[in-house]
Amino acid sequence: MPTHTPHFPDLLFPASKRLRRWEAAFMELLESHGYQELRPSLVLRESPEERAVRFFDGEDLVALRWDFTTALARMLARRFPEPPPRISYAGSVFRRASQPWEPVEHSEVGCEHICAHGENSHQVDIELARMLMAVPAVMGLKGGILALGHAALLRRPLEAEQLPKALADRLVWALDRRAQHRAAEAMGDHPAAKRLLAHTEILLADPEGEVGLAALESSPYAGLLEEERAHLQVTLGTLRPMLPEGLALRLDLADVKGLDFYTGPTLRLWAPGVQQELAAGGRYDGLFPELGRPWTAAGFCVRLTRLLDLSETRPELFSEN
Amino acid sequence: MSILIALPKGRIGDDLLPKLAGGPLALDEKAIKSRVLRIPTATPGVEALLLKGADLPRYVAGGVAALGIVGSDTLDELDPELLELADLKFGACRLSLCAVEGVELEALRRKPHLRLATKFVKATQAWLEAEDLTAELVPLQSSVELAPILGLADGIVDLVQTGGTLRAHGLKEIAILGRTSARLVASRGAYLSQPERIAPLAKVLIEALTEK
Repeated sequence: MPTHTPHFPDLLFPASKRLRRWEAAFMELLESHGYQELRPSLVLRESPEERAVRFFDGEDLVALRWDFTTALARMLARRFPEPPPRISYAGSVFRRASQPWEPVEHSEVGCEHICAHGENSHQVDIELARMLMAVPAVMGLKGGILALGHAALLRRPLEAEQLPKALADRLVWALDRRAQHRAAEAMGDHPAAKRLLAHTEILLADPEGEVGLAALESSPYAGLLEEERAHLQVTLGTLRPMLPEGLALRLDLADVKGLDFYTGPTLRLWAPGVQQELAAGGRYDGLFPELGRPWTAAGFCVRLTRLLDLSETRPELFSEN
Repeated sequence: MSILIALPKGRIGDDLLPKLAGGPLALDEKAIKSRVLRIPTATPGVEALLLKGADLPRYVAGGVAALGIVGSDTLDELDPELLELADLKFGACRLSLCAVEGVELEALRRKPHLRLATKFVKATQAWLEAEDLTAELVPLQSSVELAPILGLADGIVDLVQTGGTLRAHGLKEIAILGRTSARLVASRGAYLSQPERIAPLAKVLIEALTEK
């Protein structure tokens, strides 16, 4: 069970040592794959997010860095005419969680792979998945579950049906909670209800995913999602033989967290029975175009604060402390 | 490690315990009578926790209980970070605006300073916004029916099942804000990381408890 942690936790000697060790080990892993560290400022000036820790610098409303991906993207778009392809990062972010007992200050490490010229995005996605598969061993976790999803499985049907944003948000909220009955309530007698609900039923039917992937052939949107279905099939086939011992690979077809950000494959790393994912990421091809750069990108982030909490509350999940 | 299922005390609990009797998740009768709150079930390795409805989502959202049964009114009010796997359709109630007999909705709309007593602050605020109304909300946890009778509020928003309690206090429903029922919820982490353990139990609960 998660401990109640203060919003801005102090780390004492054992936790500090563990954090430093994990950060170093993870950055070494990323460096071995050609990733180089960048350090965006701790203060973000443009459009601070509502959940950020905001304050005034003179008359300007600014915020402590609430998200590395956003901070890096703004920095890269401003400073680089061509993107450095492989970037790593480590440090703190500050954002208020939806649950009041969660900390505001988090330590994270992660990486972003950015492409300027339409490199094979599938190869990039596989590269990231392979690195994420190595994370449990780096952190001393005995095992884990890597859940593979795809944002387009719901994004593309929603775009095709041109649902009003409020209704689309309600549908996404329902699917995030695996609540097909809430999805039906939200859709009511909308003209697209039958099609969308048939599709969401397939996405939700199989919590382990692979039967659901085959069942997507009978979705009203099967034709629209041919490429994504094939991509998932190929990815599963590519990653399975590479799985380290103790790591299971699963499909999560109903993974809609961050649907307004992710545009393609998503990845989440879980430890058995643990309430929150320990690492998460995916493809987000929409971010850099919004900043004026025609670049595509994917990445993931390891939530070190959650791992620290876990090492204290569930030490049996780790092979060493 | 045992799997824990969180079950509510009170109205919903009274409805669901008989439905589980005789099945794989039947609660140990002796343990129920002994007033312990952690009860073995007929399935080894699966235990039930008996909890107050308002506390139950916290146990599931915190990952202590893998599954739980809770009213949708509580879920809507707290909006906890958990999965809602099924509408079990029992324990059905209406969330209603009620006032003293003889007072109609239009009379409340015309009040320059409307006061409503309720436990369901979020749901009431959402309804007021949809109706383009403003009101002072008086948060109360219990015996809400007394508020309009004793002058603490002009009306109340509360759960109504048969309407008997309302009638006993000279109150009546004047608007329905929504409908509620018992829901099967799951810990996100437990369900997504160990579906092979949790999904079969969820299926047993859905089959045993869903009102036909």
